[in-house]
Amino acid sequence: MKSFSKYWSIFQITLLNSLAYPGELVGRSLMIIPFMWIFYQLWKVTFSAAGAEVMSGLTLANTLWYLMLAETIELGRPPLARTMSENVKDGSIAYILNKPYDFLLYQFSATMGETIFRAMLNAIFGGFTVWWLVGAPEHPEGFLIALPAIFGAWILHFCVNAMIGLSAFVVEDVSAFTWIYQKLAFIFGGMLIPLDFYPQWLQTIAKFLPFSSAIYGPARLFVSPTAEFFVNVMSLQLVWIIALTFVLVIVYRRGLAQLTVNGG
Amino acid sequence: MDTGELLGFIGPNGAGKSTTIKILTGILHPSSGAAKVLGFVPWVERQKLAYHIGTVFGQRPQLWYHLPAMDTFILFGKIYELDDHETKKRIDFLSEAFEIRDLLDVPVRKLSLGQRMRCEVAASLLHRPKLLLLDEPSIGLDVVAKQHIRDAIRRMNQEEGVGVLLTSHDAGDLEALCKRVIIVNHGQIVYEDKVSNLKRRFLTTKLVQVRYAEEVAKDFSISGVETLKVGRYGVKLKFDTTQTPVDSVISHLSDAGDITDITISDPPLEEVIAKIYLEVGEVER
Repeated sequence: MKSFSKYWSIFQITLLNSLAYPGELVGRSLMIIPFMWIFYQLWKVTFSAAGAEVMSGLTLANTLWYLMLAETIELGRPPLARTMSENVKDGSIAYILNKPYDFLLYQFSATMGETIFRAMLNAIFGGFTVWWLVGAPEHPEGFLIALPAIFGAWILHFCVNAMIGLSAFVVEDVSAFTWIYQKLAFIFGGMLIPLDFYPQWLQTIAKFLPFSSAIYGPARLFVSPTAEFFVNVMSLQLVWIIALTFVLVIVYRRGLAQLTVNGG
Repeated sequence: MDTGELLGFIGPNGAGKSTTIKILTGILHPSSGAAKVLGFVPWVERQKLAYHIGTVFGQRPQLWYHLPAMDTFILFGKIYELDDHETKKRIDFLSEAFEIRDLLDVPVRKLSLGQRMRCEVAASLLHRPKLLLLDEPSIGLDVVAKQHIRDAIRRMNQEEGVGVLLTSHDAGDLEALCKRVIIVNHGQIVYEDKVSNLKRRFLTTKLVQVRYAEEVAKDFSISGVETLKVGRYGVKLKFDTTQTPVDSVISHLSDAGDITDITISDPPLEEVIAKIYLEVGEVER
C-alpha cells in the first residue's frame, strides 16, 4: 500500500540516519551504566536500612530490573518536543510541511526510527550492568512479554511530546513544558521509585494518570509478567492512547492554523 | 500566473516574498484574503497540492545531511507515491539534467554548496511538479554554480513545462530565468511588467567609456554629460538620455579626438531595481 510504505520509508531513513555517528550513539548509550550503578547503591542502602529482603512485593533485584527497563524506555526516546521547537525556530518546518504526508504520522515514524537503536543499546548496556550487579532477572521472558507495552509506552510519550512540540507553533520555545512533563513523569510514572513503594493514596492517583502507563506499566510487567497484569497494562495503555491521540489531532489542527515560520 | 510561466517575484528584505511563498504552499494560514494554486486553496488542501508543486528554500537544506543524496531521492519517490521504476527513471533524467550523477552517492555534508543546491533543486523536481517555487535558490553560490542551476531550471521549464515562481536578490537570476516580474514591498504589489520593459522604462541612463589615440585634457567635459573618470587616454561618462540626446554626445565625443575604442552600456539591472525600490516602493533611504 503506497500510503503506508511512505511512513515505513521515513522510519527507515531516520533509522539509518541515527547510525550516522556511531561513536556518539554508543557513547550516549553508555550513560545508563552509571545510572544503574547509582540506583543500585541507593536501593541497596534502602533495603538494608529497612532490614528487609522484600518491600511491597519487590526484591532489590526486582527493583533494579524495573529501573533498567524504565530507563531503557526513557533514554531511548529522542527529544521530539525540542526538535519540533527547533524546526519552527529555524524555519525547517517549511520542508516538513510542504510534503504530501500526514504531519503527525511523519513525526511518529521519524521518532520511532530515532528510538530503536538507542533503546537497543540502552537495553544491552543496562542489562549487562544490572545482571552483573544483581544477577539474572526473575522472569527473563518478561522482557518479551513487556515488548508490546514498551511500544505502547513510546506511543503515549509520543502523543504528549508531540503536543508539547506543537505548542512551539505558537510559543516557539517549549523547554519549560518539557521540563514540567519530565518531572511529572518522574513522580507519577514511577521513574525513580517504583509506584509499589508509594503510600496507597498516591499509588491510586498515579495509576489513573497516563504517566504510569508510560513507565510503571511496562517496567513492572517485565518484573512480574503475569497474564492478568499484561491485560491490565495493555488495556489502560490503549485507553490513554485513544484519548491522547484524539486530543493531539485537535491540538495539531489548531496549531497549524497559527503557525508562523521564521526566516524570509 | 499562467501555466508554465517564468515569473520573478522580488522586493526589498521584509517585503513579504517568503511569506507569500509559504502561504502559496499552504504552510502558513493567511489571516485574510484568498489564493488558489493549481485549483487548490493551499492551506486547506496542503497535502493534495503538495503532489503537484516543488519548493526550494535556498537558506535551508532539505536533503538528509548525513546520508547520500540518493537516499533522499528514493525517500521522496516513496513520499510522492511514485513506482520504483518511475523513481529510477526520474533520478536518471535529473542526474543528467543537473549533472549530479557522481554526487548522488556522496554524503550531502561532504558536498560543496553549489553541488548541494543542484541536488536540492533536482530533488524538488522528482515528482514532476507543475509548479516550482524557488525562494532564494542561488544564495551563497558562485557565478559558475549559479549559471549551472539557471540553465538546468530553464531546461526543465522548456522540456517539461514546469512553471517557475522565483524569489531572488540576484538580478542575474531574474534576467536569466524570468520573463515577467512582480515587485512587492510592505506586502503590496508596487510594480508589475515584463523584464524587458523594466529595463527600457527605468533605464534612461547610459554609461560611456571612450579611449582616445592622444592624451586627454584633464578638464575634459561635455555639456549635459557627467564625467565619472578622466584617465590619461580615456574617459568614463554617464548621461541621461532624456536630457541629452545620444547623437549629440557621440558627435561631441568624436569631435574631441581620434577614438580608438568605445563602449556604451546600460547600468546593471541591479541599479534599476534599486531605483524602483527607492522611488516606486518608498523604501527608506
